[in-house]
Amino acid sequence: MNGADTNQIKEDLAFFGKINASISHELKNILAIISEAAGLLNDLTEMAATGKDVDPEMLKTCSQDIIDEIQRGFTTIRQMNIFSHSADDPAKEVNPTDCLKLMIGLAGFLSVACQIRFDPPKTDIPMVYTNPFRLQNLIYQTLVFAFKSVGPEGAITVSLHSEKGDAARIHFSGLGSEPLRLFPYERASMVAGSINAEFQIDDNNQTIDIMVPQLEKAMH
Amino acid sequence: MSNAYKIKLLLVDDEVKFLQSIAKRLELKDFEVTTATTGEAAIACAEKGLFDVAVVDFQMPGMDGAQVLKTLKEKHKYLEILMLTGHATVDSAVECTKLGAFQYLEKPYEFEKLVEVITAAYQERLNKKFEHNQKRMDEIQKLSFGSSPLGLLRALSRLDNEEK
Repeated sequence: MNGADTNQIKEDLAFFGKINASISHELKNILAIISEAAGLLNDLTEMAATGKDVDPEMLKTCSQDIIDEIQRGFTTIRQMNIFSHSADDPAKEVNPTDCLKLMIGLAGFLSVACQIRFDPPKTDIPMVYTNPFRLQNLIYQTLVFAFKSVGPEGAITVSLHSEKGDAARIHFSGLGSEPLRLFPYERASMVAGSINAEFQIDDNNQTIDIMVPQLEKAMH
Repeated sequence: MSNAYKIKLLLVDDEVKFLQSIAKRLELKDFEVTTATTGEAAIACAEKGLFDVAVVDFQMPGMDGAQVLKTLKEKHKYLEILMLTGHATVDSAVECTKLGAFQYLEKPYEFEKLVEVITAAYQERLNKKFEHNQKRMDEIQKLSFGSSPLGLLRALSRLDNEEK
């Protein structure tokens, strides 16, 4: 195994760890809300048992909060499951739309996350034969850079396009004042290189594109 | 109805549902609660109202918990601050301690434990204010010996300015 392979493996592990840390933090927040809502229901029940008046709306709010957070928890676990399984195969057919939506969801857990508007593709985007785990890493790193460029109060737009000669182009626009020449970082370049993907940076329009190669062209 | 003093709390967390539930539970325990969902809003609240204890989430978008802690301690030296986090690390605990946090709790926590820590923080606030007032009384006593009324007023004004 050479140095480049070792660096790539380290990057893969670091990315896996980062996402799982972020998911665990999200799940803890969900459990904290459920815990407090259940605790409040308990307090209100004790109040009622002593003959004090209890606002039924408050009971409804508590129970609805618990229901909503359980659903949010299930969604998070589903995302965690899909992400974990993306490391199963070094190369497979990947739906770029699903991949992008998953990473938008996972990146949204970050405290630096801003609003993300996803423009659905206007035409069918073909499947891409690539390493799904590393494609996710590329998208994630780009999103994190985008968040830091606009700040948590800002908003970015992400869209997906089918390109002649390339399977898919992921387009990030509405980026802020952070100089785009700082991107991609070395890590992102290394991951892009491993799946033959390319970054295209437009400083004038403040956009970043990730070109993801066609099925036949991808390396595995 | 009891005339007992209600400890004034400022709760700061970007998770609105969590904030609302915990605020209500604390109100049922006879705390007077104000909530804020951002660091900036918390600092603005603290400027307008006098709080005994603040409970601040460590990880928030924009101005994070550590920055809120630092700013609040600079502007309100007797405000005791508890930090809440979903992910406790040695580094963040050390950072909070250095910035003057009273204590650091990891979510999810036992509610009764939170109440106990808030009460202890309030007691700490009272102790510090008492010590300060005691020192001030001693200073005033020293100043009053042999001073004219105008001289005493000037000295007191100097003392007030030093404390700001």
